[in-house]
Amino acid sequence: MQQLFYVFGSLAVASGLLMVLQRNPITAAMNLVVTMFSLAALFVLLSAHFIAVIQLLVYAGAIMVLFIFVIMLLNLQDDELRPRGRNFIHLVSVAVVLFAMAQLWQLLSRTPAIPLAPVDEAYGTTGEMGMLLFSDYLFPFEIVSILILAAIVGAVVLAKRRLD
Amino acid sequence: MLGEYVPVLITLVVAMGLAATFILLTTILGPKRYLRVKMEPFECGVEQLVSPRRRFSVKFYLVAMLFILFDIEVVFLYPWAVRFRELGWYGFGAMMIFLGVVFITLAYEWRKGALDWD
Amino acid sequence: MPPLNHYLALSGVLFFIGVAGVLTRRNAIIVFMCIELMLNAVNLTFLAYARFLGSMTGHVFAFFVITVAAAEAAVGLAIIVAIFRNKETVNIDELNLMRW
Repeated sequence: MQQLFYVFGSLAVASGLLMVLQRNPITAAMNLVVTMFSLAALFVLLSAHFIAVIQLLVYAGAIMVLFIFVIMLLNLQDDELRPRGRNFIHLVSVAVVLFAMAQLWQLLSRTPAIPLAPVDEAYGTTGEMGMLLFSDYLFPFEIVSILILAAIVGAVVLAKRRLD
Repeated sequence: MLGEYVPVLITLVVAMGLAATFILLTTILGPKRYLRVKMEPFECGVEQLVSPRRRFSVKFYLVAMLFILFDIEVVFLYPWAVRFRELGWYGFGAMMIFLGVVFITLAYEWRKGALDWD
Repeated sequence: MPPLNHYLALSGVLFFIGVAGVLTRRNAIIVFMCIELMLNAVNLTFLAYARFLGSMTGHVFAFFVITVAAAEAAVGLAIIVAIFRNKETVNIDELNLMRW
């Protein structure tokens, strides 16, 4: 259990770093898939069974496919991906990120370790999610359909303009 | 509960092990003779006609995008389906409103011709 | 069971990797992927706290975040495709029409 957390946690961080450092967009996308997968494993360790499956189904399965389609659609040549100058901005942003990480580290190392209590069998299952979704969160659930409608209209309008 | 994931973990380890073994074996055992002809993409023995790194049509993107959005919709059906009996007509009504709006979406893109290939 | 702190630290590290990517990368698609990574890091925080509190409200939020991320990916990538058709580039340094 404990070891699995560190295995998947370091896998997520390593592939996340690789994604940011890779120049080739396809390699970056593949690294992001690994990150999504390790996060799904971490969700399982947190007993979030339903969310873990959704993570794999929607993120690793659908969203990443869309990313790879767009990368292949644009098919950027190597010279278009060449890094430009602007090292100063890179340096400043990396410094800011490292500073923020140090702050976070300070904060978390000062707080004592908070143990996670065990939860019952039903926690995080699809059925419990259904009960919650159809009681307290019914209105947001209905709004999601409007969101899908808006997203489809926007995407169809943007993608079809030059097609006709 | 977590014990049920042990088969998944075993499958993962076996899959990763197999893939790593195959890649390692081919790099160690395989002969490496790189000729110019060998490095070209194979096109039924004919000379290469077009670059393989051609941009492909936006139609694929449209279909993939619609797939994502209906994927999300199906994901919302699962929690309802699991608790179908307990939620009864109330849940049925709520789901029908949701599906009604999604149906409007489908009708919109049908009329817009986003589903046509040509 | 690792303590809550470790989950939060991991989530923070992933979030900052995403921030670093957004700030330093020039390819709009990779910037977009980094935003997805940040959304995922936030989801991890939601689920860790939900587990800590023993309530499932965080799961519902994570579910909606994933839904919004999917809609966002569809529209955002459509915008990137549209920009590419107009300007023949996805380098965000060259998309400076609205900069003063």
